[in-house]
Amino acid sequence: MTKKIFRNCLAVGIWVFLLSVALFMGMLYQYFSERLTTELENETALVAQGVETMGMDYLEGLRASNRITWVDKDGTVLYDNTADAATMENHADREEIREAILGSQGTARRESATLSQRTIYVAQRLEDGTVIRLAGQQHTVVRLLLSMVQPILLILVVTMALAAVLSARLSRGIIRPILELNLEHPEEHNAVYDELSPLLTRIRRQNDTIQNQIELLRQRRQEFTALTENMSEGFLLLDHKGRVLSYNTGALKLLGAQAPAEEANVFTLDRSEPFRQVVNQVLEGRRCQGHLERSGRSLQLLADPVMRGKDCAGAVLVLLDVTEKEQGEQMRREFTANVSHELKTPLTSISGMAEIMKDGLVRPEDVAGFAADIYKESQRLIRLVEDIIHLSRLDEGGDNLQKGEVALLELSRTVEQRLHPMAEQRKVTVEVTGEEQRILGISSVVEEMIYNLLDNAIKYNHPGGKATVNVSGEKDWAVVRVQDTGIGIPEEDRNRVFERFYRVDKSHSKEIGGTGLGLSIVKHAAALHNAQVELDSTPGRGTTVRLRFPK
Amino acid sequence: MRNHFHEQLERLNVELIEMGALCEEAISAATKAYLEGDRQLGARAAYLEQEIDHKERDIEGQCMKLLLRQQPVASDLRAVSAAMRMISDMERIGDQASDIAEIARDMKRSSVIGEVPVGDMARAAIGMVTDSVDAFVRSDLKLAHAVIARDDQLDGLFLAVREKLTDLIAQGRDGGLCLDLLMMAKYFERIGDHACNIAQWVEYAITGEYEED
Repeated sequence: MTKKIFRNCLAVGIWVFLLSVALFMGMLYQYFSERLTTELENETALVAQGVETMGMDYLEGLRASNRITWVDKDGTVLYDNTADAATMENHADREEIREAILGSQGTARRESATLSQRTIYVAQRLEDGTVIRLAGQQHTVVRLLLSMVQPILLILVVTMALAAVLSARLSRGIIRPILELNLEHPEEHNAVYDELSPLLTRIRRQNDTIQNQIELLRQRRQEFTALTENMSEGFLLLDHKGRVLSYNTGALKLLGAQAPAEEANVFTLDRSEPFRQVVNQVLEGRRCQGHLERSGRSLQLLADPVMRGKDCAGAVLVLLDVTEKEQGEQMRREFTANVSHELKTPLTSISGMAEIMKDGLVRPEDVAGFAADIYKESQRLIRLVEDIIHLSRLDEGGDNLQKGEVALLELSRTVEQRLHPMAEQRKVTVEVTGEEQRILGISSVVEEMIYNLLDNAIKYNHPGGKATVNVSGEKDWAVVRVQDTGIGIPEEDRNRVFERFYRVDKSHSKEIGGTGLGLSIVKHAAALHNAQVELDSTPGRGTTVRLRFPK
Repeated sequence: MRNHFHEQLERLNVELIEMGALCEEAISAATKAYLEGDRQLGARAAYLEQEIDHKERDIEGQCMKLLLRQQPVASDLRAVSAAMRMISDMERIGDQASDIAEIARDMKRSSVIGEVPVGDMARAAIGMVTDSVDAFVRSDLKLAHAVIARDDQLDGLFLAVREKLTDLIAQGRDGGLCLDLLMMAKYFERIGDHACNIAQWVEYAITGEYEED
């Protein structure tokens, strides 16, 4: 803009100069030619007077700078001071002569062939009808200009320099307020040019719109971030080149990565092969999923391409921590396998013995023994099925069981009564001590818990050993402690004894009996009562299990 | 034009990350092959070595193209030249990983293996490779320095392994196996050196200074 203004100013300057030179020259030329004509006229008058009085002698005696011609009435040249009159043609048809003969005076201007000169003729009629003519020469404009070329050029240069400086200053002066416009707040302190006001108003309006939209975007982004940040799942948004557009801390945590730089490639977060495969596939526009192992957790990676028309414009990756789910599945699989195995074992015996009896291979006196075995195995089978039903009921949350007041010491005595025959058989003394504690619970379930614990305390005891049930109260808890002097549980098994069908000593499980579900039932029942189960054990010395019920 | 250049640099970066990941996989496969005697993993290490070679040629071509066509300057030039040096270190790591896998494949399983801390060396070397690639990925100068500092630790481990093996040989234990283990330890030690080199190139790419060891 400055440049344009500068150029225009400069052009105006130069044009003005050229025009004024032309005008000036025109005026000057006009003036000179008028002066010349006047002079010629005066001179002609003088010469005419001279000729009138002295005739030819005057002319011959005259030393004139101008050309003087004396023409007769009929146009014949009588005298010429620059040429031989005799050789000159008739001048009657010359404009100035004709005018002088008709009037008393005549003037004419004629250009030379080269245009470089112009001749002015002034003629005057004498008394006797002859005509005196004087001719004066004048340079044309072109000659005049050429002769003045040096000063004109000098002036031109000076003018141009001056014009350049002035127009530069002018253009800067015009532009400066525009440059200094405060576009952030266009309508304040910007009252320089009224013509700019509509523009500035418009800019202000657009600024406002942009601000609003930025604010809106920021809000949206915050909402989005708040949403994604609060997901426990990892979330990654990629563009079509695999650059991370958006992520949440869940994703970083799951991948064990640090926050990526702006526009960093997703491989800076994780570069393991399964991850790369999934990313490469999804960026080709195929949905896929993968499986990653990160610091002992198993992650499921779900990838969905974002399609725009036929092209893949990016991808959404979702990371799920499926460790628990997989463990759960694993446990379910193991449980199913265990259940089938545990159910099959007694059934096989029953079926085997029944088959032998059917085929008549058993002597009549042995039938009773076989029947007892079959009975024993079926009992075991029934217990097992009962336990499984029990456990699945606890799994469902025991909703159909009514909670009521449970007296723990009384309940423990009942359990002791029930287990008394077995304790005697195994030569284990059982003692129930402590003070009465009452809790809110499901009586049958709590009884089952204590029964299972005491049952274990008796079963896994040495002959002549001791099992104690102690009920006591702590601040917020009612505690049932079941202690034995039995074989104890090795350290590595302590966490697993609560699993279904887990047996510490797998080889002797059949002799001891039991289903392998006892402690598992205790664990689930405790969860139902919000109770805690604590296990302390020293191999060879005994085991202590504490049940803490909230009062 | 410049945009195109930056896209190419980005592409180069991604390829380098992939190559680094391949190296990590190769060396951990080789290590597992050694520690667990898994022959399949040994074969995987050999396959990965070929992949790495392939990748090296690929990246080298890309670097050349970048240098010739774009004539990068300043940090861009450093990035490209550091990349060219890094890939040769990575390629060596791949080679050594496959060498380790090869030794592991033909090695007899014996109690000697448990007595020599080659496993520790392997873990240290894997850690260094992972961290050097991480340092590159995140342009993390501190991590690069940490990797360079850890090289001494690995060298110390190598000396300990050597001493242990000398003892074992002096005791008349299986000499051939001891030599195999020594070679393997040496390879791990070399892998550590290459990881260290990579870290130095990372440092060069970031700061423009290259520390000779």
